[in-house]
Amino acid sequence: MPIEELQDLIVLDSQLSELSRALSWAEGLANRLGLNENARYAIRLCLEEALANVVLHGYRNEPGHPVVIRYQLSSDMLSFAIEDKAPPFNPIDTSPSATQAEPPNLESLVPGGNGIRLLCQFAESLVYERLTDRNRLTIGFSIFPPAI
Amino acid sequence: MTISTESMEADITRVLLDGRLDIEGAAAIDLKMNVLAGSAKFLLIDLQKVSFIGSMGLRSIIIPAQNVHRRGGKVVLFDPVPMVEEVLKASNIDQVIPIFHELDAAVAALQ
Repeated sequence: MPIEELQDLIVLDSQLSELSRALSWAEGLANRLGLNENARYAIRLCLEEALANVVLHGYRNEPGHPVVIRYQLSSDMLSFAIEDKAPPFNPIDTSPSATQAEPPNLESLVPGGNGIRLLCQFAESLVYERLTDRNRLTIGFSIFPPAI
Repeated sequence: MTISTESMEADITRVLLDGRLDIEGAAAIDLKMNVLAGSAKFLLIDLQKVSFIGSMGLRSIIIPAQNVHRRGGKVVLFDPVPMVEEVLKASNIDQVIPIFHELDAAVAALQ
């Protein structure tokens, strides 16, 4: 199937069990583009972290709300725009600094504090927009050499 | 995601994980990891066959490791693939749970 025939968006319900559909859709896209393993890993990681954040924190794990994901392709970037109607939340504002001090010991490590940090470190670009009634987070990945 | 264990020398329990340690994978191993953390004193978590780890997977390692540590034990991570190791390092986990690529060195660190 040529890339032009791939569905350019997918709509999920706001529950964690839906994430696998989005990840399979993105994997299919990565296959069509011939992306390498590192790019596939980064895409899977960032989509899982961003979508889990929307479901668990944005919608507080309440099903019945749509989450829309669209991809956009340019000559050297693949981007995914995730839109939800949860309360405003800019994950970039809450990101721990990549240069923050190392944890001095195991007890100081926060078990749940890594999702947004990973999102920020493994995405090539990350843009948050608050639209009239929804959040949009656009996650970009370099694709070198251009695959198509 | 599968999890199995084997006993090694010096009271070390080797935990062999196999698959994706994503949200579903983490849910699949959490119970057994917590049980192990309540009984084993020295845990060698073998990551050779883990192809993916995300933040939920990290939790599945950090929380048991903290429990083992509180009981006076030790935990090491063994031989993650490069991208999994990159995630561990990006999360600073390697600073408090050491990573080894040689089995002898991992065992020695637990003794």
